[in-house]
Amino acid sequence: MTLDLTVKIGNLLLKNPVMPASGCFGYGEEYAAFYDLSCLGAIVVTGTTAEPRPGNPPARLVETPGGMLNAIGLQNPGVEAACEKIRRLQPYKTPVIVNVAGNTVEEYLQVIKVLEREETVAAYEINISCPNVKAGGMAFGTEPGTAAKLVAALRPATSKTLIVKLSPNVTDIVAVAKAVETAGADAVSLINTLLGMAIDVEQRRPVLANLTGGLSGPAVKPVALRMVWQVSAAVNIPVIGMGGISNAEDAVSFLLAGASAVAIGAANFRNPTVCPEVIAGIKDYLLRHGFQSVREITGLARTEEEKRRRAK
Amino acid sequence: MQKKKMEILEHEQLADDIFRLKLAGDIGARPGQFVQVGVASTLEPFLNRPFSVHNCTESSLTLLYRVVGRGTRLLAQRPKGAILSVVGPLGNGFPRTKKRQAVLVAGGIGVAPLYYLLHTLRAEGKDVSFLYGTKTAAEIVLENEFRSLVQEFHLTTEDGSAGKQGFVTELLPQVLAEKQADIFACGPSAMLRAVAKIATQMDLTCFVSLEAEMACGVGACLGCVVTGADGNYRRVCTDGPVFAAGEVFSFDS
Repeated sequence: MTLDLTVKIGNLLLKNPVMPASGCFGYGEEYAAFYDLSCLGAIVVTGTTAEPRPGNPPARLVETPGGMLNAIGLQNPGVEAACEKIRRLQPYKTPVIVNVAGNTVEEYLQVIKVLEREETVAAYEINISCPNVKAGGMAFGTEPGTAAKLVAALRPATSKTLIVKLSPNVTDIVAVAKAVETAGADAVSLINTLLGMAIDVEQRRPVLANLTGGLSGPAVKPVALRMVWQVSAAVNIPVIGMGGISNAEDAVSFLLAGASAVAIGAANFRNPTVCPEVIAGIKDYLLRHGFQSVREITGLARTEEEKRRRAK
Repeated sequence: MQKKKMEILEHEQLADDIFRLKLAGDIGARPGQFVQVGVASTLEPFLNRPFSVHNCTESSLTLLYRVVGRGTRLLAQRPKGAILSVVGPLGNGFPRTKKRQAVLVAGGIGVAPLYYLLHTLRAEGKDVSFLYGTKTAAEIVLENEFRSLVQEFHLTTEDGSAGKQGFVTELLPQVLAEKQADIFACGPSAMLRAVAKIATQMDLTCFVSLEAEMACGVGACLGCVVTGADGNYRRVCTDGPVFAAGEVFSFDS
């Protein structure tokens, strides 16, 4: 019996549902030393803006219980220089998803316009959720109307798959998800980091130069899982689940909650081969439980829960 | 660059809070490179800890570290026979230079990577002067070995409990005066800045090894940056950890 790991996200057919999370994988080359990147479902490269961004001053990161805070501030070489790095991923014959960020609608459009020329780019992940930049980023993601307007403006600019990365720093993430679905998003990915803070009590000052940062790692997993559960119940487009996934069991829990695919972020930092390990672990899980396709388990925890409730 | 499971062969305390950890296996590191170590097998603490390579052979990797926080405290408890996850070798390492003389300046636990560099330089037949400064006598490690290996050895402590009282950098100008040497330094940031300043004034080549809070260690997360002399950020993990002094320190003349 052959196991079918393929999943569809918009126009993309992924060979398996596992991808690195943007911002945790550079432009791919950093991890190519550890394994063949062509084993990945997709390669997601770091947040890219129209102009180069130096990022925030150090200190930019601090470890916290069960995870870490970061305030990188979207450091990237700008879209033109990023294209060169992205082209180097072509030999892997794996869909490349570029995370797109900006301060204004025009900046997002500008990035997409440049990337439209790049054959290697298969999809865009629209970043409306970066908590570490002063303007833009999360400003687009905290209000459903603003998020929808951005997506509606970007939709005509490309026929490539448009994924919208959602912020957990909102009162109602479902409302934002539904708004971007209506505006033309092909998929949503969630969650970006949770806004947090650390204080050095000896020095009596915030640890991060940016004062606040984004929390990621195992600590955020329960929050992420809950949001994936809620959003996938409310939208008809695929959900890419992420937030604290460190192993195959975590990944399977996101799929069961309703995600069609998963992204692995901070766990790459502690284990550079975590992505291939998770792919192998998902296969093992499917075989152990007699599933023939990974698509069978998307949302299975919810549909089975609904059945149980109806039976009562 | 690889991820390896490595067994602890020896793990001993050499001085106050300073431990030497010997692991089985070859990671293939050059002097000045570092490794990322999973200090616990659990998800907590979450991040690996970066350590400079203290020594590296075809059969073993040795680290020398100071207990400074939660991660190193946990590491210090790992017994002989335990298996650690190690990623490396990482970073650029000290460059090979042409001059026949080298002056190594170690501050505190900054002595760790200079031990490996010292052995390599001596194997290449270079004359090495070694300056070693600590806060107090209780932090000094491997003094006899250093003395036996080098042409010139100077020890300072801030409290005067061993060697000459003061900062190690106070001795540097006179040590450099009679030589045409390249300088290699590792230690606290303030010490490195002082070394870099002296090197600049004397127009000598100087390399400094930096440390930073780090997540990935491979250049992906951009968390460990320092501000360079030109105002641009540099990743300690992949642009360094060794930098030409002028790349990360600037001095208004």
